[in-house]
Amino acid sequence: MSLLEIGGLVGGYGPVDILAGIDLTVEAGEILTVAGTNGAGKSTLAKAVMGLLPRAAGRIAFEGRDILGEPVEARLGLGIAYVPQVGNVFPSLSVVENLQVVAGVSDARGRIAELLAAFPALAERRRARAGSLSGGERQQLAFARALMARPRLMILDEPTAALAPARVAESFARIRGLPALGVSVLMVEQRARQALAISDRGCILDGGRVAMLGPAAGLLADDRAAALYLGQVGEAGA
Amino acid sequence: MFGALLVAGIVHGLIIGLAAMAVTLVFGIARFPNAAAGDTMTAGAYAGFLAHRATGSLALAGGAAVVAAGAVSLLGYLLVFRPLARRPVASLLVAAIGVAFLIRAVLGLMFGHQQQVFQVPLAWPIEVMGLRIPPMDITLAAVAGVSLAAAFGVLYLTSIGRQMRAVADDPDLARVSGIRPVRVMVALWLLAGAAAGIAGLMLGVKTVVSPEMGWEGLLSAFAAAILGGIGSPVGAVLAGLLLGVAQEVSTPYVGFTYKIALAFAVMLAVLLLRPRGLLGRVEEVR
Repeated sequence: MSLLEIGGLVGGYGPVDILAGIDLTVEAGEILTVAGTNGAGKSTLAKAVMGLLPRAAGRIAFEGRDILGEPVEARLGLGIAYVPQVGNVFPSLSVVENLQVVAGVSDARGRIAELLAAFPALAERRRARAGSLSGGERQQLAFARALMARPRLMILDEPTAALAPARVAESFARIRGLPALGVSVLMVEQRARQALAISDRGCILDGGRVAMLGPAAGLLADDRAAALYLGQVGEAGA
Repeated sequence: MFGALLVAGIVHGLIIGLAAMAVTLVFGIARFPNAAAGDTMTAGAYAGFLAHRATGSLALAGGAAVVAAGAVSLLGYLLVFRPLARRPVASLLVAAIGVAFLIRAVLGLMFGHQQQVFQVPLAWPIEVMGLRIPPMDITLAAVAGVSLAAAFGVLYLTSIGRQMRAVADDPDLARVSGIRPVRVMVALWLLAGAAAGIAGLMLGVKTVVSPEMGWEGLLSAFAAAILGGIGSPVGAVLAGLLLGVAQEVSTPYVGFTYKIALAFAVMLAVLLLRPRGLLGRVEEVR
């Protein structure tokens, strides 16, 4: 049984379908990158899995349980976490408050201690307002916040979009470490080549459908994928 | 003379600050200007007035004001603002004006439109460092101080307060952090109502109790909420104090009629120099 199974998923924000029938799985312990051109439906897919899309139909199952009709809170409770592209920390709350505010965490105090140990930069600035953190520190806090409730699947929406170029590599290294913490990753990312380089599998969306799906190394080596979706090697943003 | 006006200004400023806190909390979290905050104050003033007339205790009057204004505020949310939550801000503002008229009409029907006066014992002013301060001003300042401490305690030291500040920062992120919006909203409206209730009680003791009192005080509360920086409770209280002191201290120079205009001139000047208000924040973009 896959951790996450998506079948025939359609949906959108209004009457127009942005997702036009998506079939995809995320296996336990893997990182799956979702790539594709702008408007292909990548972020919409991420929102649909979290329960944030106003209209969705089809099948989304988490650990075998159908969650399509479940609200966001229930999906969080089952072990799915979500890190939005922007606005992923509470700027006026302190670092520690950003972690304390996450609801439904058993032994929150112990969990905060674990996460501050895992992210030493945050431990140093535990009383600082999140709005005063650097871009890299802010992303660490966003990850720590999402990890608070001990999720088994983390959905990352363009995790490097708001980062300075110098911080991108360390961000991908951080994501690479998530499966070791027992967290599988569904990552939507513009920097497709770098994302695929740390992923087990990749999926390329086009027009709200899965155009290509397979091992990340295979996609990186695929001429058609490179030509149509991934950009040339070394190209800005690739 | 200046000292006496300063003291009066501080008490008046605390009243404005508490009312502004009610406005700015709703603005920051429910995201609309709550024009019913003034009449919620009035409801608190009447409840306090009745409790004081029955018992003679200002503490019990404060309790009654908090309970009644909190209940009125919560009812407004449950019956009107919650069903309209996804409507545009203009719709919510008009709805709030409607709620304000309704509260005022009900109070007018129940208690009539004549002014009522708190029967507080006359007492000689107490002299502190050459200032002659009416004992009631000291009592009211203490009531305001305790109320503000309680409100800030809820906001900054409790789990629900942290959740309220998180929703004010980013409601979408609050949702994916498992924060239950309805619980936060109930706490918000109770807290905002309680702050307005204490402001109403203090205004009633300082002036008179009438169905129109809160509506007339609403503009100052809005001004202080804007001046303090929308969504900043600390800013609202500081701005309330600034406006209250500016109004009272300017009275000998500009006269009673124009002191409110002068307070608004102060507000405009500050906003021209600092558009986000005293403690409002600029969203950082990286």
